[in-house]
Formats: sequence, C-alpha cells, structure tokens
Amino acid sequence: MGTHARYSRRLGIFAFLLVALVAALGLRLFEFQVVRADEIQQKSLDRREVTRTLTALRGNIVDSNGQVLAKTVFRYDINAAPKNVGPVRTVQDGVIVERSVMEIALELAPLLGLDLEDLLLRIDGDSEYVNLAKLVDADTYNKIRDLDIPWIFWDRFADRLYPNGAVAGNVLGFVGQDGTPLAGLERQYNTCLAGVDGQETYERSAEGIRIPTSNITTQPIEDGGTLNLTIDSNLQFFAQQVLADTVSELNADWASAVVIEVETGRILAGAEAPTVDPNDPAGVASDDRGSRIFQFSFEPGSIMKSISTGIVLDTGSADEYDTVPAPDRIYLEFNNEYIKDSFNHEDFTLSLAGVLRYSSNTGMTEFGRVIDRNTRGEYLQRFGFGAPTSLRFEGESGGILRPASQWDEMTNLTTLFGQGLAVTPIQMAFAYQALANDGVRLDPILVDSCVSSDGTVYYKPEQAATRVLSESAARVNLEAMEKVVEFGGVGKTAAIPGYRVAGKTGTAEISENGIYLDEYAISFYGVAPAEDPKFVVGVTIYRPEGVSNSANATPPFKAIMQQALKHYRVPPSTTESRNIPSDRFGNVDEND
Amino acid sequence: MKVFMLSAQDARKLRPSMVSAIVFIIGLIGVFALQLMLNMMVTQDAYQLRSLEAQKRDLATEVQIIQEEVASLGSPQNLADAANQLGMVANPSSVLLDIQTNRVFGEPVPADGESLGLASANLVANSALGSTSRFITASLEDAEVIAGVSSELTEGAAVTLQSGLIPASPTR
Repeated sequence: MGTHARYSRRLGIFAFLLVALVAALGLRLFEFQVVRADEIQQKSLDRREVTRTLTALRGNIVDSNGQVLAKTVFRYDINAAPKNVGPVRTVQDGVIVERSVMEIALELAPLLGLDLEDLLLRIDGDSEYVNLAKLVDADTYNKIRDLDIPWIFWDRFADRLYPNGAVAGNVLGFVGQDGTPLAGLERQYNTCLAGVDGQETYERSAEGIRIPTSNITTQPIEDGGTLNLTIDSNLQFFAQQVLADTVSELNADWASAVVIEVETGRILAGAEAPTVDPNDPAGVASDDRGSRIFQFSFEPGSIMKSISTGIVLDTGSADEYDTVPAPDRIYLEFNNEYIKDSFNHEDFTLSLAGVLRYSSNTGMTEFGRVIDRNTRGEYLQRFGFGAPTSLRFEGESGGILRPASQWDEMTNLTTLFGQGLAVTPIQMAFAYQALANDGVRLDPILVDSCVSSDGTVYYKPEQAATRVLSESAARVNLEAMEKVVEFGGVGKTAAIPGYRVAGKTGTAEISENGIYLDEYAISFYGVAPAEDPKFVVGVTIYRPEGVSNSANATPPFKAIMQQALKHYRVPPSTTESRNIPSDRFGNVDEND
Repeated sequence: MKVFMLSAQDARKLRPSMVSAIVFIIGLIGVFALQLMLNMMVTQDAYQLRSLEAQKRDLATEVQIIQEEVASLGSPQNLADAANQLGMVANPSSVLLDIQTNRVFGEPVPADGESLGLASANLVANSALGSTSRFITASLEDAEVIAGVSSELTEGAAVTLQSGLIPASPTR
C-alpha cells in the first residue's frame, strides 16, 4: 500500500468521525431545539415565572339608603422569626441608630395587645415562625410596619366588617373565621357576594421585579356584587332600640318587630331583640344567632281574628252591620268542651267590629263557624300561612297549618281566633299587608337586587301578587280594625295622634307538649294610616314575665309606627273613621 | 446560464458603494441603540411601577383605616351615645303642625327618657365600634351656659352654640 493510499484512508476516517461528531451534535441540538424545546422552555419559565391568585373581594351589603352594613376589610396576622430576633440597626439622617430587643419589645407589646413578658417569651427561641397576634386592624399593622423590624413579618387576610354591629345582624347573618358564610343573607346570597378569584402569571427577575415584556396571562378577577337590601338601617336601629328596651323591661325571652311598606311589600325593618352582632356571633347564645322573624313559629292568638273577620266579609256570610250573640262561653256539642272569652262578661251581641274590639272568641266562633272549613283553609293558605314565604330565608319556617280536612272539631273553631295553628312573624305581617293592600298579598321583598360594580344586575327578585280578599271586603275589614284602636280596652293605647290606625291585639297562651302554660306571646299588628295604608308594623313579645295581656305590646308598636310615619314624612289623616257598629249592643235591633 | 458583456463604465457603476454601506451600518446601529434605550426605559418603568403599586397599597390601607373610622363614628350606636352624652332624650310623642289649618296633632309632652318602649342611650351591640365621639366636658358646660343665658335674655333670638360642641377627633 502506498503512502498516498494510507493518507487517503486516514483522511477518510477523520472525515467520517468529523461527520459523525457533527451529526451527533446536530442530533443533540435537534433534540434540545425541537424535540424537548417545549419542556426546556417550560423549565426555564418556571424559574422566572410567578403565578398569583388575585382574591376576589366579597361584595358589600348595603341598606336602602346605600349605608354599608357589611364590607370586606383587610386584617393582618403578625408573626415573628425568633431565630433572627436581635437588635435592629437603622440609618436615620445619616446616623446609625441601634435599637435593642427590649426597646423594640416595649414598643411592640402595646400594639399587639400583649404583656411585655409574654411577648419576650414568644420571641425567644430558635424557631423560624411564631404568631404574635391574629387579625389586627390596618392601623395597628401600619404602626408595626413603620417600626421596620426585619424579624417581624405578616400575612394579610380579607375579613368581614359590620360597621353597624347588631343593626340588622339577624338578617345579615355572618361569616366564619375562614370567610365561609354561615348564616342569613351572607349565606343565602353567597354566589352573588363571593365573586370569582382571578389569576395572573408573569416573569420576574432575580430581584423580584416583574419583567416588563414577559407575558402576563390573566384570568380576570370578578369582585363580588353589592347586595342591596330594602332595610332602612335607621328605622331598623330605632326598632331594635325599642325592642331591646321592651325585652329588658318585661324580662321577656325575645321580641320582634317587622315594618312593611304596604304598596310594595318591601321589608323596611325586621328587628329583633336579642340580636346577633355579626362581628362577634359568639357574643350571644346560639338560639339568638338566627332570625326568629323567619325561623320561629308560634300560635298567634287573637291577632288572627282580623284575618278571620276578613274571611267572613269576603265570603259574604256577614257584613259590618250583622251581629251575633256573644256569650261569655259557648258550650260545644262534643267532648264537653267549651270556648270562653278572655274576660268574664254578660251576654253580648256583637258586630264584626265589636268582635275585634272586645276580642271575643265566642263572637268570632259564631261568625266563623258557618263557613265551610275547607273554604277557610284555602283562605288561610292564600294569606300565606302554612308555607315559607318566597324569600326562602335561611332556615325559614313555614309555620304549622294542617289541611282543613284534618282539623278536629276543636281546631276547626279555634283556628278562627289563632289557636291550633302556628305562624312566623313574617307570615303574620304579610297577612296584614294583604288586609292593608286592598286584599292583595305581595311577596315579601328583602333583597332589592344584587349588582356588580359595573352595573350588571346579578339578581333581582320576582314578586307575585295574590288576591286574598276582594277590595271591598278588605276596606270594610280595615274599618272594623280601626275600632280596636278607637275603642278597644288595650287597643286604645296603640292610637297615634293625628293618624287613623287599624290593628289587632293578641295574647296567645304558649303551649308546651300540648299543655297551655301561664305564659304568653303578646302581639300587636297594625296598619296606618287606615284610609290609605302605608305601613304594617307587627310586634310580638315572647314570654314577658308576669304579663298576661297585650297592653305591653302596644307601646313598641306605637313608637315604631310613629317613627316610620315621621321618618317617611307621611302627612296626618284628614278624614274620620266610618261609623260602623262596634259596641257590645251595637246600634242594631236586639231581635236581629 | 447567460453571460452579458459590460462596458468598463457600467461595471464601475455596479461596484458596491462605500457610502450606502456606511449609511446601512449607521442605520443598524441606530436601530439597536433605540431599542436599547427603549428597553432601559421600560425596565426603569417596571421599577417605578412596583414602587407606585406599593404606594397604592399603602394608600388603600390608609383609606380603609379612615373608612373604618368614619363608619364607626357614623354608626347609629355612636350617634345614639353621642346624643345621649349631649343630654338629648328621645321623645316618643311627636307633635305635628298643619300650617294650613293651624291644627296641632298630638299633645306636646316633654321627653322624660324613662318611657317604656323607647331608649335614649344605645342598646344595640356593636363590637366594631372603634372610634367614638367624645365631648370635652368643659366646652359642653360653657355651651350650656351661653345657650341658657342668650335664650333667656333675648327671647326669640337664635341660640348660638360654641364651636366646642363639634365632636372631638376620635382617639384609638
């Protein structure tokens, strides 16, 4: 083999190796640049990229005037790293100032609400984390931040604040510490209030600065909507004040007051005492954390009579001039039972207005028993009894109204004067709304709307109207109810100077396990002005101590109704009530 | 493949021009410099953006603090207490005047603050009540004296209250 051939072979091998090397590198390059390109790029991006969840702000709850009842605020957990605790050097005006741990602790302790010893104990040790205070307010946070201590750090949390405390706390409900809505409207309208969390992704430099040209993919944040209530917080506060006073004065279990705008069915106030302060739900007994207006049903007693007189008038079985004999008691043809009036009296002859004025059970029985029970049962259903209202408030009770076909002989009669059935304060208030609104019951409105910040309406309630009584029957019935306030023994104390008021007292015995106790639920439900009804106010006081008549329910009714009339600038009545018979003999023929 | 014959003059014309090369390079440098400058500006703005965002957060915190203070001062509980401190008493018996008929509705009754069903001081819980109205007792008394004197001496004249009655700034 010649030299030339040897060289040429070597050159061939070299060339081959070179090509192989280049090919290998090329393949590798191909793998990096094409095959694994996405994966590698992702790895690199992961190092620089930050994904941040943007927490949506829970929406406000505001009253009918836009006053904020619930809002989201930021609170801070203050933490320390005991491992790094030491003196702090800062430069102030070019001079290095050193603060000792003791000096810092002296400043910190009062801000955190801790004893100095306690604080020193907590920041002692080798751990990297210790919590010093939970949910401090922004002012305290600012002060702590301004101390500029490197071993103090914090976490920010969204928290719920109810600036008006227990005002409407019963309907607002509250949220748990983790922000979960637990009760009331907070829970019922959570979908609208909560909003949708957003997300943003961007790249940042080693210093943590956002790289300007980096792709920011953002899932837009959608803050929660504003829940507009029909509640007027000034009237609500007033009513709660009145009830709190009443409950403590009478040593009652609780009291409730509902104020309704007759023409619209809007609930202007739903007051209770005691009421939960949503800022501190644990501050009251668990039974007091809800809303009895919606959740508690009770035997209404005589406030039911004006519903029954309405039914009597509407069916046409009697008019305002008809009378019935109303003895002290009626003996019934079954079980040796009898129906008795609440006070002893000689035999009366009463008109419908007289029945209301004297709150006569026997008179009511005589007027009502001629109407078929099924008919009466249907009327009661149309008045809204026996089923929760359209509000479907959290845990709302439907009360108890058995089908008329299942009423026993006694219940058949006692339902006429409010025994043998149970109602919630809201049901009764809206039954009175029907009486006041020319016989048309409107669905209650508590939430006016839920609106996003850009004005999109997320929720708007639909309102149904149910005709319960004819217009004329409702008008005459209201005139009869006026006689309660004009002449009734207790009813008179509900009179408001300058206004025509129609209403009915109620003193219902409370039964436990079927036995009536010597304890009462006293009520006054009324309407004003009677000639052009604007408001229904319904007051119920449960188990007042040693009180056995409704005389104590009229002052709160009067105070709240008076306030509503004053607050909404309702002019005084200019007409007199119609002269219809209401006395125990009436201006009627005795032989009738 | 075609071959063209050129004159020497034409060939010179087609020679690459030095000037256009320089212009091209300068242009290129210019573009790069501009891009660099823009980049620097954008980066600078990124820092400014961060500092402004921090400022915005601080201001939002400030707003929250003030809003909480206002909400607390404006809450009905504080207002009721403030009115009570000033000696105001809720009067349940409102009286209405009809100026057209000169009719008076209702009996004017002085408020006694003891009547059932009406409270003057706050009875409704509010644990969010941070800031409350405070009145300086001295200025209150001064105001009472002045109000009393002026209303007695000059009947019908407007009663002026001292400015000391404006709620003092709250302290936490």
